[in-house]
Amino acid sequence: MIGEIAHFFSLSAALLLIIILLLNTIFFFSNPNSNQLILSIRLFNQSCWLIFVSFGLYIYLAITDDFSISYIASHSNSQLPIFYKIASIWSAHEGSMFLWIVFLALWSLLFINGLDKNNPLKKLTLIMLMLVILGFLLFLLITSNPFSRILPFGVMDGADINPILQDPALAIHPPILYLGYVGFVISFSYVMAYLCKGNFKIEWEEDIRAWSFVAWIFLTVGITLGSWWAYYELGWGGYWFWDPVENVALLPWLAATAFMHSLYASSKSNILKTWTLFLGIMIFSLSLFGAFIVRSGIIDSVHSFANDPQRGLYLLGFSGLMTLLSLVIFAYRIPAINSSKPVITGSKESFLSMNNILMVTSIFSIFLGVTYPLILESFSGEKVSIGPPYYNTIFAPLILIASILIMISVDSLWQRKMLARKFFRSIIPTFILVTSIIYIFWYLIKEFSLLTYIGIFSGLIILVAYFIKIISSLKAKEYINKGSAFAHIGLGILFLSISVNSLLSYQKNINLSVGESLRINESIESFKFSNLNVRTASNHDVISANVFVLMDGVSVNLNPEKRKYSTRGQITSETAIHATPFKDIYLNIGDQLEDGSWTFSLKINYFVKWIWLSSALMVLGMVLAMQKRKI
Amino acid sequence: MLEVRRKRLGKLLVILFISAVGISLILFSLNSKLDLFYTPSEILSGKINSSSRIKLGGMVKANSIKRLGTSTSFLVTDFQAEVFVKFEGVTPDLFKEGSGVVVLGYFKDQKFSAEEIFAKHDENYMPPELEIGSQSE
Repeated sequence: MIGEIAHFFSLSAALLLIIILLLNTIFFFSNPNSNQLILSIRLFNQSCWLIFVSFGLYIYLAITDDFSISYIASHSNSQLPIFYKIASIWSAHEGSMFLWIVFLALWSLLFINGLDKNNPLKKLTLIMLMLVILGFLLFLLITSNPFSRILPFGVMDGADINPILQDPALAIHPPILYLGYVGFVISFSYVMAYLCKGNFKIEWEEDIRAWSFVAWIFLTVGITLGSWWAYYELGWGGYWFWDPVENVALLPWLAATAFMHSLYASSKSNILKTWTLFLGIMIFSLSLFGAFIVRSGIIDSVHSFANDPQRGLYLLGFSGLMTLLSLVIFAYRIPAINSSKPVITGSKESFLSMNNILMVTSIFSIFLGVTYPLILESFSGEKVSIGPPYYNTIFAPLILIASILIMISVDSLWQRKMLARKFFRSIIPTFILVTSIIYIFWYLIKEFSLLTYIGIFSGLIILVAYFIKIISSLKAKEYINKGSAFAHIGLGILFLSISVNSLLSYQKNINLSVGESLRINESIESFKFSNLNVRTASNHDVISANVFVLMDGVSVNLNPEKRKYSTRGQITSETAIHATPFKDIYLNIGDQLEDGSWTFSLKINYFVKWIWLSSALMVLGMVLAMQKRKI
Repeated sequence: MLEVRRKRLGKLLVILFISAVGISLILFSLNSKLDLFYTPSEILSGKINSSSRIKLGGMVKANSIKRLGTSTSFLVTDFQAEVFVKFEGVTPDLFKEGSGVVVLGYFKDQKFSAEEIFAKHDENYMPPELEIGSQSE
């Protein structure tokens, strides 16, 4: 019964949205009337609340194990802790789409009610938001109904959540990522409202600045959580695989990062106006593209949901139509927007514009990498996949140019030409310092690979440039933009740690019986497999190996596990990680051989902690930048 | 006026030139970094360059997995042909006999040396290329 009520609420929400949209279309030609807007918003709020209540009831159904609902029956289980019963809702397509819509409604509700009642863009923004929500709500109800029942009788117990998803980081990863993805509906709708309105004297940047910042932060944290989870749960030792689904998360992130930069320039010095509007449209279009790629099943990925051509077609149609319409309106309005104050070469804006171009280039390259196999297959029937080598070669030069531009821009000023004296005062010491650090590094390591050294160089020039800037401005008591400094230092650490990680990390495969020990190399003096424990947890059995690794004179105890989950019979591995500031000892247990011995894979991963730290610094930088008001 | 136009044309040409170079670099890199996908029958029909990295997809043949020390060997089949695969390291949890697998590596001297084994999150997973093949089984 509760399932039907929840379903009814969702249907009513969709119906209500249609009614409001119809009302607004009918009264479109009449005089703008403030009562009509107030009524629309009131109805819209109710529609959002219907969605929330419906989702709340759905959570209740999941907690109370209503296995007559087919989605809950196939993704939850009575043995699960409550936390995972709730998380099981977003562990597959229907429920995660439902969550996506809840967040859409939440962002829209907060934004539209927070706008000033005399805001000229309010009505058009509301209409845009409603169109987006309605599009997804109809998609949910028509093609992927989470409320459908197993008739006439439900099953006794659920089929359980996929064991590798039973993890706290992964349980919160989708909600946070979705909050980010969906958060850009605000900037999209506002930009579209601005373009439709046609009054280009309106200052729109400030109204969405904070909202875009918050969405960017959620997106960044969401991507990092996913990467962190992949690192410790999947046991591949990596944190980023250039998997199509990861790539489609990176696309809106890059567009959003470019947008945050140009939004700043646009509101600060009135340049790049049209460009900022274009990016505002692109972020959300890329989010929609991502939803299509992940949910249509056209790509073969570890993340993709079940194949369903109908869903793919709907999403392709919806995202294609939204993108096309927005771009047409944009193209139609461009000539009328006169913003074009020229960008002065050597000013901060000029560097910012150039880096914007680089970000768009990287978006294009990733987009090509994701779609090329699809295009090739449909034309020639050849099946191909594009892996890390492509992205590494594409990104190395882009990162290098971007870093050089960031380094130069550290000392540049808004709307003013850079002084040649200042330019040389900071650039030359930076280059000398970085080259010597790299030389010493090479001398110690004696390993070389062009791509990783490009990455190390790029990371270092950003870090050193900021280091010099901070020292000199502390001395002279000059102003320094803390948000920007933190975020860019984070970026420098990211480039540096990724490169050092790929240069130094290595793997050893080991075959040992219980009680045996082995010397691996100069640094790992002994690897001792002392014993094997068997125990039973609430919904799985565990085999846990007890291993002592003596590395650089320090003994570390590691317990990698194999788990067998009772409901699905699925076997998973739990990696044992000993993380120190500069390197992680990363151990997986493999299979048992016929002679009773076991295989292990031991990985030494360098600088992994610094990758997470870099992401934290970027988020911190954004938080600081968000608090600063327009000067 | 003419001067302004000439300048504008010059700028446009520079932009076009840079983008053309950029796009051709990207496409060039794309073409050299592709991993082509094959089924066992396609691989055994010849024409595979032993120096190019490829992907092989199929089912792990029943009773074909042999482990020796840290190396694993098995047969990948599409029910018409089978390829001998050798792998060094720990195999993924979902890698088992009778289920789908995709391996990445090099085919040389009638043997496939795998660098990576991909077994999917979903235990019901089967490489899409094989779905038709197994249904007709």
